[in-house]
Amino acid sequence: MVIEFTGLVEQLKNEATNAGALVYVASDAEDARNYVLKLAQEHIVKLAVKSDSMLAQEIGLRQHLEKSGIEVKETEIMEWWAQLGNAAYDTLRQHYINADLGISEANIGIAETGTLTIMGNEGNERLAAILPRIHLTLISSENLVPTMEDAVAKLKSISQSVLGRKMPRYVTYITGRNTTGDILGALTARAQGPEEEYIVIINKVTNL
Amino acid sequence: MSKEMAKRIHEALLDKRIQAAFQTWEPILKFISQAAREGIDFEASRQKIHDVKEKSISSLPQLIEQFKREAIDAGASIYEAKNGADANKYVLKLAHKQNVKRVVKSSSILAREIGLRKYLEKSGIEVVETDVGDWIIQLADEKPAHMTAPNAHITIEQVTELLSKASGEKLEPEPQALLNATRRTLRQAFLAADMGISGTNIAVAETGTIMILTNEGNGCMTTTLPRIHVALVGIEKLVSTLEDATVILRLLSRSNMGMKMPVYISHITGPSITNAFHDATIAGGQGPTEMHIVLVDNGRNEIRESVEFREALYCIKCGACLNVCPVFRSLGGQTYGYIYQGGIGTILTAFLHGMDKAKDLASLCMGCMACKDVCPADIDIPGMITDLRAKIVGEGGLSWINNLAYRSVLKNPSSLDRSIKIASYLQRPFVDKDSMIRRLPYPLGPLSQTITLPSLPASTLRDRLKGYSEPRSTKQKVAFYAGCVANYFYPELGEEVIDVLRKYDLELYFPPEQACCGAPALYEGVIDTSLSLAKTNIAAIEKTIPDYIVTVCPGCAVMLQKEYPRLLANEPGWKQRADAMACKVRDFSQLILELSPSSGKKAPRSVRVTYHDPCYLRRGMGICQEPRQLLEREGFEVVEMEDSEACCGFGGRTVLEYPELSNSVLQRKLDKIQAAGVDLVVTNCVPCVLQLRGGLDKRKGKTKVMHSAELLATQD
Repeated sequence: MVIEFTGLVEQLKNEATNAGALVYVASDAEDARNYVLKLAQEHIVKLAVKSDSMLAQEIGLRQHLEKSGIEVKETEIMEWWAQLGNAAYDTLRQHYINADLGISEANIGIAETGTLTIMGNEGNERLAAILPRIHLTLISSENLVPTMEDAVAKLKSISQSVLGRKMPRYVTYITGRNTTGDILGALTARAQGPEEEYIVIINKVTNL
Repeated sequence: MSKEMAKRIHEALLDKRIQAAFQTWEPILKFISQAAREGIDFEASRQKIHDVKEKSISSLPQLIEQFKREAIDAGASIYEAKNGADANKYVLKLAHKQNVKRVVKSSSILAREIGLRKYLEKSGIEVVETDVGDWIIQLADEKPAHMTAPNAHITIEQVTELLSKASGEKLEPEPQALLNATRRTLRQAFLAADMGISGTNIAVAETGTIMILTNEGNGCMTTTLPRIHVALVGIEKLVSTLEDATVILRLLSRSNMGMKMPVYISHITGPSITNAFHDATIAGGQGPTEMHIVLVDNGRNEIRESVEFREALYCIKCGACLNVCPVFRSLGGQTYGYIYQGGIGTILTAFLHGMDKAKDLASLCMGCMACKDVCPADIDIPGMITDLRAKIVGEGGLSWINNLAYRSVLKNPSSLDRSIKIASYLQRPFVDKDSMIRRLPYPLGPLSQTITLPSLPASTLRDRLKGYSEPRSTKQKVAFYAGCVANYFYPELGEEVIDVLRKYDLELYFPPEQACCGAPALYEGVIDTSLSLAKTNIAAIEKTIPDYIVTVCPGCAVMLQKEYPRLLANEPGWKQRADAMACKVRDFSQLILELSPSSGKKAPRSVRVTYHDPCYLRRGMGICQEPRQLLEREGFEVVEMEDSEACCGFGGRTVLEYPELSNSVLQRKLDKIQAAGVDLVVTNCVPCVLQLRGGLDKRKGKTKVMHSAELLATQD
């Protein structure tokens, strides 16, 4: 079965937009990093925190932002331990709180609902997604699946092959932008998470 | 009927905050009900959820063992709490041991059920609710008005005042401003907290995973920022696989908020770890270093072990049933007194808080079945309420007057006839010139204030149809089962049915030994009477071997069609006879369309009508098109009113037991009828006719009310 990735990209874009996210489909690496820099500048981002992302590395995101004077902190604890020991945790926490932008990578995108899934074991990826003022998620178009059931299948396969265990500690499904129904008229308002939710889909597949 | 409940109803109806709030929320609740079904095969999806829950609850002990193994393997600690007190003690002990001073909490109906927050607060631990609805309730120190929207009754002005005080800022009564202040203030609580307590929406046995759904993001923060995470899990939340969980996810947010997906779903399997130094894992990542899962029973196993009530554990706590319940809409959630609200709440309260607490609640249900229509787990809530009432009567007995009414008078056609005869003498001083009764003495005063009643005519339908006791045609034998309201209050309607059907070449006959259908007894919980009446009616009707049984009261029709086979399930001989009769039952309009499908459309008339869907016809029998089609075929323009399927408020017993409640529901219906701007409202249910006519008379409304049969008989 040939999966129509172009169709999935459109569907995910529509669903996520309906749920309050802002979606950009990048044609290549340069397009993607230019877009992120532009939005960081528009939002006057001084400090960004980043969770582990091969995709971000692939497109050279960190260097591109740093070249323009934006401070980018990696959040995998490994890097910090050597220098700071236990105080690393507290310092890192402060970075999340002070950060203007949190950058994540999603390894599954569910087209039918506009949902992105972020996996991890440390919990840093959750903090990077929820605490900073703005949250941005990168996803490669080849990681899009049509339905929630497909996502579960892919989750199980990633867990087993990449992590060698049944489930990572954390799998966070994010659909659109945080909100609440508890206050009358608040469904378009932001609640306790980021003020904006950005999605950059990097189109890896050309003309299937 | 309970004096205490009548008092609570009275207070709730006078509570301006509740009444105004539910008025304001009504369009939103309607939106949620519609959005829940959009773009999806709702029936198929909810059947799948029902199946998943059925198999999960069935194999619950194995799922619990598997879940424990997996969660422990992933580094979590498990505590199995027999009851709420047990769970609370465990959490407190843990808090003391780990030097916890401050706790943040995300939404958990279970936590409310066991009173965890107040228990911890009493011991000097600071607990901050982080779901904004729960936080508002905490600040206001009030009870929840709705299970999933607890602060529904609190005005935006009050919210502004509460949040201004809590945040130390002077806020505007504007949603974004209030939420910004919430975010700022609760962030401080998150960062300072030693422990995060969460509920669980779904627990997955195959991986030891708990799933938490939120829209605000507070669920993620509660379970990641503090160093200890305590997850409360009601054992009914367990499913076997992630695939099973996905089945539930398909409808959970839809039914709860009209959203395809919540904004955040956290799947958490064990505490956080650090993947450092090649393959070694070090406990304690940037999330909690400890995760404690508290599996709570607190009466759930008892529900599981009961055959009639096991389905109550299929509830996925979405709140959709509350949004369509006319009783809930009129009274709000606090009237239910405890944590669980509405029909499903009544069943849960009986087992989780005690039967004595549920007795009063069980009397509230009007039997309209709106909840059954929207439940994403396809739970037969009305059926369980009926079973609960039977259990209550079985254990506690009946008052002497109910015993007399249900076990002597109603059981026997001749004693009922005699009682009605006596009533028709006693009514004389109260009958107005137009044969209507507008005031009655104690204790029926409130009833007569709610609806104007028809006086009891001198002869009943049974009297008038003495000459129609045998089948008159060998072509189609159509027996007429009239029911008590038609028999005693509207005998002329019975005659009209005969006239109309004769025009379609159908000759009716009236089996003379027919008795009360038994619905009042069944819905009061007096099963022995309803069983006896089932047998009386089956015997009375089957002896002439009808081809069809035509009805004008869907309440009666549902008894004959659905309840008799169910009641007689344990008596194979009778069950067979009940089944044979059940398949012959027809609504009046349904029969006409079935037997004369190709009758041509009549010329359009100048009368504009609207049609009211009786609960027992639309939801009890699945019939809503036929009455409309027949009216249109007869040349009437049918204008749809808003909420045509909403209950009229008669509720069988409700208009007698809790007339104020009945009236509250009735007034909403009458508003919609009058807004339709028609001369006539038509319906296919005699009790609805009684209720709507009676209510419109009190309003001095000009709109007429007719049964389809009356309209067709009189408009030629």
